[in-house]
Amino acid sequence: MSLKLTTQAYCKMLLHAAKYPHCPVNGLLVAEKHKKKDSPRDSVLCVDCVPLFHGALALAPMLEVALTLIDTWCKENKYVIAGYYQANERIKEARPNQVAEKVAARISENFSEAAMIMLDNSRFTMECFVPVLFIYDHHDSKWKCREPSTDCFEDWLEAQKITAALLENKSYESLVDFDNHLDDLRNDWTNPEINKSVLHLC
Amino acid sequence: MSSVSELYDVTWEEMRDKLRKWREENYRNSEQIVDVGEELINEHASKLGDDIWIIYEQVMIAALDCSRDDLAWSCLQELKKQFPDSHRVKRLAGMRLEALERYEDANKLYDSILQDDPTNTAARKRKISILRAQGKSSEAIRELNEYLEHYAKAAFCLEELMMTNPHNHLYCEQYAEVKYTQGGLENLELARKYFAQALKLNNRNMRALFGLYMSASHIAASPKVSAKVKKDNVKYAAWATSQISRAYQMAGRGKKENKCSVKAVEEMLESMQITMS
Repeated sequence: MSLKLTTQAYCKMLLHAAKYPHCPVNGLLVAEKHKKKDSPRDSVLCVDCVPLFHGALALAPMLEVALTLIDTWCKENKYVIAGYYQANERIKEARPNQVAEKVAARISENFSEAAMIMLDNSRFTMECFVPVLFIYDHHDSKWKCREPSTDCFEDWLEAQKITAALLENKSYESLVDFDNHLDDLRNDWTNPEINKSVLHLC
Repeated sequence: MSSVSELYDVTWEEMRDKLRKWREENYRNSEQIVDVGEELINEHASKLGDDIWIIYEQVMIAALDCSRDDLAWSCLQELKKQFPDSHRVKRLAGMRLEALERYEDANKLYDSILQDDPTNTAARKRKISILRAQGKSSEAIRELNEYLEHYAKAAFCLEELMMTNPHNHLYCEQYAEVKYTQGGLENLELARKYFAQALKLNNRNMRALFGLYMSASHIAASPKVSAKVKKDNVKYAAWATSQISRAYQMAGRGKKENKCSVKAVEEMLESMQITMS
């Protein structure tokens, strides 16, 4: 089973990390719900991501609220929560911690092919020359890191070009995460404006 | 590259006031601080009066965040010239060394401050930050505990903060979140009380509202509570639900896109009520 990312999903993850360079950040990845329930898929395409928190990632109540709310939103849009991403606070630290493992485990209870993504802060640049992800799959109740490659992108060149353009434009300033939403309910964590920008550049 | 004042059509006074607001509210919007501050310093230094020193400090720290060592260095020089023996300026020099990852040199600087003034908490905090940056979390925790004992007060940071800042709804709310995360019936009840307290201090704190809802719901769902406690918590949860719905309705007014969010919240609350009962 291989997880693939659309440009929109990859873009928003990186914008989230760029917006808060001094904080750990995390969020969820969503995929389209498979038509046939029981037949296995050969690949899961994560079409979008929902940025969750920055700063304090390990506090339970807001995480529960976010997961439930986003799950409800997913049902309405025929999505399913398919993954979790996290960028740690320190630049050289890219290992998943307890929070990452716990949330990813919870997600895989509802979606067996869930993946956990850790961002590699040390290779994160404005030009996005290389993919900065470590993708972990769940095998025998352990998380194993996959070989990094550009195969996990629907279209790596497009993802690279558009992400670089949005970073250059400082689009991360208008990215909304769930924390921003809790600060002011009018902030929309689905980020429609950024989605539009991505489509424009495609 | 057009200037900030041209781009945003602001006067230098407005730029200065913005910097003050960001300073007072402890924002870490370093890119913006550098943009606004650098222009203020380069074009309007003479008009700033004594404010310029605190602006140098603010801009210097933001410059470190943005890898602008040139700017950080020039701010530091101005401050050194004006306040040659200051501990506060020495701490800034230390922060610059930290940014350059010269941790040994930074620590030497902080140690020299502490020798002169063992109560200097700023230097102590920087030393702990260095340990965190190096990934030495257990040592950082040990140092933090020593630092707290220095006050000879409560062991828990947040309890201390709440005592000295009783009107601050954010500390109250964060304390509640910590208790909730620790788990267990007693902690949940404490959490609920502190969420309620945070709401009393600021009735628009959404986290406190959600937190109140979550903790009351979990308590009501617990098999260990009496019928009366269950009934009370169901009431608290129901009240919180209505407040949350109202808040979303108000936020969603006039915006077509937000209708989805409002609906999602309603459904979430309904589904939770089902699982809680």
